[in-house]
Amino acid sequence: MITVEALEFRYAEGDFFLKIPTLQIDRGETVAFIGPSGSGKTTLLNLIAGIALPRAGRIATGDVELTSLDDGSRRNFRIRNIGLVFQEFELLEYLSVLDNILLPYRINPSMRLDGAVRERARRLAAGVDIGDKVDRYATKLSQGEKQRVAVCRALLPQPRLLLADEPTGNLDPNNKGRVLDILFDYASRTGATLITVTHDHDLIDRYGRVVDFREFHA
Amino acid sequence: MKDSLYLAWRYLAYHRIKTAILITSITLIVFLPVGLRVLVNQSADQLTARAEATPLLVGAKGSPLELVLNSLYFESDIPETMRYAEAIRLDTMGLAQPIPLYVRFTARGYPIVGTTLEYFAFRGLEVASGTSLTMLGDCVLGARVAEQLGVEAGGTVVSSPESVFDIAGVYPLKMSVAGVLAFSDSPDDHAIFVDVKTAWVIEGLVHGHVDLSQAGATTGVLRRDSSVITANASVVQFQEITTDNIDSFHFHGNLSTYPITAIIAVPPDQRSEAILRGRYESPDELSQIVVPVSVMDELLDTILTVQTFVIAAVVVVGLSTLATAILVFLLSLRLRRREIETMVKIGGSRGSIAWVMTSEIVAVLLMGVLLATALTLLTSQFGSSAIRTLIF
Amino acid sequence: MIERQRAWSRGSCLVTVAGLGALLACGGGEPRERPAVSERGTPVVYTVNYPLQYFAQRIAGDVVQVVFPAPDDEDPAFWQPEADVVAQYQAADLILLNGAGYAKWTSRVSLPAAKLVNTSAALEDALLRVEGTVTHAHGPGGEHAHEGIAFTTWLDPTQAIRQAAAIREAFAAAWPEHAATFEQGFAGLEADLTALDEQLAVAVAPSSARPMLASHPVYQYLERRFGLSVQSVQWEPAEHPSGGMWRDFRRLLSEHPARWMLWEAEPLAETAARLRELSVEPIVFDQCGDVPAEGDYLSVMRSNAERVARAYGRGES
Repeated sequence: MITVEALEFRYAEGDFFLKIPTLQIDRGETVAFIGPSGSGKTTLLNLIAGIALPRAGRIATGDVELTSLDDGSRRNFRIRNIGLVFQEFELLEYLSVLDNILLPYRINPSMRLDGAVRERARRLAAGVDIGDKVDRYATKLSQGEKQRVAVCRALLPQPRLLLADEPTGNLDPNNKGRVLDILFDYASRTGATLITVTHDHDLIDRYGRVVDFREFHA
Repeated sequence: MKDSLYLAWRYLAYHRIKTAILITSITLIVFLPVGLRVLVNQSADQLTARAEATPLLVGAKGSPLELVLNSLYFESDIPETMRYAEAIRLDTMGLAQPIPLYVRFTARGYPIVGTTLEYFAFRGLEVASGTSLTMLGDCVLGARVAEQLGVEAGGTVVSSPESVFDIAGVYPLKMSVAGVLAFSDSPDDHAIFVDVKTAWVIEGLVHGHVDLSQAGATTGVLRRDSSVITANASVVQFQEITTDNIDSFHFHGNLSTYPITAIIAVPPDQRSEAILRGRYESPDELSQIVVPVSVMDELLDTILTVQTFVIAAVVVVGLSTLATAILVFLLSLRLRRREIETMVKIGGSRGSIAWVMTSEIVAVLLMGVLLATALTLLTSQFGSSAIRTLIF
Repeated sequence: MIERQRAWSRGSCLVTVAGLGALLACGGGEPRERPAVSERGTPVVYTVNYPLQYFAQRIAGDVVQVVFPAPDDEDPAFWQPEADVVAQYQAADLILLNGAGYAKWTSRVSLPAAKLVNTSAALEDALLRVEGTVTHAHGPGGEHAHEGIAFTTWLDPTQAIRQAAAIREAFAAAWPEHAATFEQGFAGLEADLTALDEQLAVAVAPSSARPMLASHPVYQYLERRFGLSVQSVQWEPAEHPSGGMWRDFRRLLSEHPARWMLWEAEPLAETAARLRELSVEPIVFDQCGDVPAEGDYLSVMRSNAERVARAYGRGES
């Protein structure tokens, strides 16, 4: 369960201001964040992930108070429990598909990369139909395939929470459905919570709950 | 740590051209001044060693440097010649063993060193195959010459005319190769040795021809008085000394007037050396006596001064290259900001991300330094002989 | 190496870089002996003719092995040794040269200058030029003469003694521990050569000033030492002189009325008979440049003296 209370956030520069009196998302919920650009959807996603810290208020994931953790602990928490998917995929050009999927295990010493993890990575890749491309550079793949690699990277540590920031924004309709299928499938299989920032209003009826950010600026 | 190294390696391998350029720059930055220093020091050591092994050098008055370079390294221009009488005079003084040198002619680009058998003993040169100089017209090849020309004992080498237009003067002499010297890692490897008398044959001072006083020798004879027989230039000038014609080789005039370029003087002790040097101090003296090591030291001082400037310049260039390399790296860090941000967002630890970047720099630096070290080692191994060919 | 340095450091003009003389030479042939050079302990000395070998061996006794390797059928003055023999010379501890342009081959090979001993160096100013020089002009040297020096220096016993003295000095410098042996050997030789000198003087005494002939111009030093008057032709003992040669001979005889003719070897009987018809008595005077078939240097020279004495006696009678 994610609990947001009396949250206030502003960037060091500019007049952006986000204020959320209270928001609760239950475990296993699938939530769509919608609202106009600049309404704070991505900011909240970052705050939930512990990438950014609020000026005031509290954010808790389960029984972990993210706001009371130091930077290192938040990173460790994030890499173990939160899977992140970005609109621009954010794959590393110099790594193969497999190495991109394994990245979380290479950049934090609290993660142990072993044979089982590798095997899981391969299975994940095969599950999203890129099993025969794991040794290629990720940059050589199509857009849809790239996002599938990014999704595999997010799923590999078996997170309890999936945060996707417009994951289908750069995809054609076909691939949009495909990627969402994978995310929803994971969430339903593992009981993980899925929060997606999206502008695709024709897809929002797939989510169990929609949070419209206009309400925070009313 | 291992994972950071892996990522760094993947990055460098993917950007291999950029990496290669960076490594090359680092290699050059390190190698140029160090390698140059090693090279110069080593060449200096070699030059000095040769000079130190040559106690005294007598030559006609003129440039001492020219005399030393010609007599020790068989390089530079031909110094003023002096008469062979000087060697006889030196011997008569009894103060030093004289070893005459006549370094003037060449054969296929290699210097022909006219000397006596004493030279080989003096330099500690061993005959690796064949024999030492025996008959007039024999030559003994330095190891490198034999290797380069592909000539062995029993073969022949033809001396080069001094100039293409030299028709009346120096006839090419076909010399028979009596032996090949063992490698000595010295200029002797690059020389062709002949008896000084053979060098005079090349010059045309000693020559062979049919006996003009014999009845058969009518073709070349222009006039035959009671005792003076005038012969024209068609009198056969032998271009090869064989067992059949060696008898006809004869010296014209007095041997003591024949030319040599230098005499290595080997005094038995310091006292003799001091007396000998004193003898050549006289202002009327036509010859000079030089201590090769002093001459070389002077030259090397000059070279070292130049070297300091060169190294200073190289270091400045190196520093600016280093600055450029740092700039390249910083720029690439900027370009990789998004990549770093992604790693941070996913949950990469500060340490791990820093290690990836550091590993890349360290790897590039390390490979550059290792390459530079390897190059320096190679230089110290093979560079000196190469530079000797280059310098002279 | 040590040997070499010691050899040159005696530093006198005996050790001469000018082992490069000036004359003519010829020939080849098989060397007579090829001893193993310089087994350590017994120094080996090579010479360019038999007289020097004889002198050197007399001086050195058993201390030094003296080798003269020219083959029997070669005149050592005009011999050209093969490369392997030259190599033996190179390997010797000392090389005794006659000097005076003898053994021209030594200037056409490479010999270690420090080992060369020119035994006639002290006689340099007393050496005689040879007549009949050929001058010719070609090459960069311009006109030049192939003139020679009379090289049978040892035929004058006093000169032979000085050459022997040079050998003694060279030996003493090279092996000073044996100086006494050399001194003793030299003293004996000097006595013998002095006696020979007297014997020859006595032999020619009856008519030393009378004109003489020689088959070859090789007796210059004998002539000078004993005040003879010799004119030479170029006749070979084993060959019949041609008609022209006899004509020239008679012309020479009319200008130079000699009654004796020196031959380096026994002339053909026919030649001898014809000479006697012309009242010229042939006398064999062996220069002994090469190893004699019988006896040694001294016995050959004594026989020469006896033959001269006999012929002079007969001529007088």
